[in-house]
Amino acid sequence: MSEASLAQIEKDTVATMAGTTWRYWLALGSAVALVGLGAWAWSVALREGLGITGLNEPVMWGALITTFVFFIGVSHSGTLVSAILFFTRSPLRAAIGRSAEAMTVFTILTAGLYPIVHIGRSWLFFFVLPYPNQRQLWMNFRSPLTWDVFAITSYVTVSMLFLYMGMLPDLALLARQVQGWRRPLYRVLSLGFSGTDGEWRIFEKAYPIFAGVVIPLAVSVHSVVSWDFAMTLMPGWHSAVFAPYFVAGAIFSGIAVAVLLLAGLRRGYHLERYITPKHFDMLAKLLLAMSLVMTFVYATEFFMAFYRGSNAEMEVFRWRATGTYAPVFWGVVLSNSVAPIALFWSRVRNNLPALITISVLVTVGMWFERFLFIVTTIARSFVSQNWGNYIPTWKESFICLGGLGWFFMLFLVFIKLFPCMAISESMQSQHAVDAAVTPEASHA
Amino acid sequence: MPEELVAVYADPDEALRAVLSLRERGVSNAQVSSPAAFPVVHEVEHTGHSRALGWVALVGGLTGLACAMALQVGTSKSMGLVVGGKPIVAWTAFGVVMFELTMLFAGASNFLALAIFSAVSRRKVARSIRDLVSSERIVVTVPLTGMEPKLRDAARVVLGGALAEVAP
Repeated sequence: MSEASLAQIEKDTVATMAGTTWRYWLALGSAVALVGLGAWAWSVALREGLGITGLNEPVMWGALITTFVFFIGVSHSGTLVSAILFFTRSPLRAAIGRSAEAMTVFTILTAGLYPIVHIGRSWLFFFVLPYPNQRQLWMNFRSPLTWDVFAITSYVTVSMLFLYMGMLPDLALLARQVQGWRRPLYRVLSLGFSGTDGEWRIFEKAYPIFAGVVIPLAVSVHSVVSWDFAMTLMPGWHSAVFAPYFVAGAIFSGIAVAVLLLAGLRRGYHLERYITPKHFDMLAKLLLAMSLVMTFVYATEFFMAFYRGSNAEMEVFRWRATGTYAPVFWGVVLSNSVAPIALFWSRVRNNLPALITISVLVTVGMWFERFLFIVTTIARSFVSQNWGNYIPTWKESFICLGGLGWFFMLFLVFIKLFPCMAISESMQSQHAVDAAVTPEASHA
Repeated sequence: MPEELVAVYADPDEALRAVLSLRERGVSNAQVSSPAAFPVVHEVEHTGHSRALGWVALVGGLTGLACAMALQVGTSKSMGLVVGGKPIVAWTAFGVVMFELTMLFAGASNFLALAIFSAVSRRKVARSIRDLVSSERIVVTVPLTGMEPKLRDAARVVLGGALAEVAP
């Protein structure tokens, strides 16, 4: 963070909540329009059934489940990166941690919608909850789908609390600083936090414990989602590498989306002083590292399939690279494995438009990568008489785009209601920087 | 209303110097209210519940674990699930939900403990003083009730220039 007075930090952050430009309204309007489109398509699915989608035998998991897995993946890295930066005491966290955590909460809330849409009779989604129904049947705790329910609800609860806990000192500051309807809102939400030394001691003890809870939970959630696939015996899915592969992919896509959100915030609210090229350089290096991991995993999957010699598995991977979806496969390789190689050069890492382009490619590439491994396995499983193809319909695509709009809408409303940067932490970070520059001034 | 000296500083380092100076002169009961966790908040004596936080999270986590075990074992046994000769109680499969609920309860109890312990802790400082805190105002308070006259004078000298009028 470049030099800023402590009051300036607060003023600049409050300005992001107060000022509303036409760009903001345009972005919010576009997001709401996408939500409307998705809601309309979903309403058609509710009235007419899942026949309006491209789902049919043999491919019964398609774009909706792909979008679920994609958003769960994006959700993964926000809280994880924030918690890791916290433990490494990185000064970079102050500016980007809040947005990353908010991204996690809103993407997981978006992800949770898709299984509900996918089940068709969405009003019966409560069947997945543990309750004694009329026939005294309970859910099957051996099923990875049941694990999913517990993993995702735990993760969304803990991520929301993590975001909220980090905001408490800022809400307390804002409750004393702002006027109008926001004042009572922040006063209530700050839970009375007022910055006494005792409160800070407790906060500084509680926060690392919470961050320590968040990290294994984040890893577990995407592992559990991967087991939805890996616990089956399907070729291309039944693999021990699936959990780490999913976790790596999740971090990869999450970092790409974080870059896009931060670039938008930086440009939209003139936060160049706080979200600096250093932040983007760090994120670009992470993106590059995760791209290399993903490339290794892609190669390992193919190597294992052909080395093992299982006909069904070889056929799935051969078809993935050369069959109906070959253009998608090579597009994924290009966007997830080839394009990020440019980030080896610091000139590319420090060129924001180039980094944004690569992040867009990775984000789109990761959606299609999820699509590929889900669809190609089901479309090309053991019995050749049961092979088929799947192409999402327009209405199905609208439901997926609606989720994208839903996520952006929630995020845009959030940054209007709450500070998108950690004010208190930024002050602390700035003070530490000042003390390092002029140690005699701060040393009593 | 208890008698106390209230000093307001714009600079965290000035507040730190004041607290260290107070301590050098034998005044060890200073309290600090600050917009961020600047080093000054670590320099005052603290007798709070912060050490209990880890234990609360542990107990919360174990409660979550116990709930997950009870839920899975209880429900699996209650409905006569046909499992083809496999064990009704399958710890390997149940491990995932046990882990998730352990973490959920640990996190939630940690958050609750933060809220409750903070509420108890802040009661030592009057609300009118806490309301003074802003990004440019760090408040150092010295309770004078029961303090020796010598120490009172020392506190007045140290905090001299920064003393603030606080409405009761």
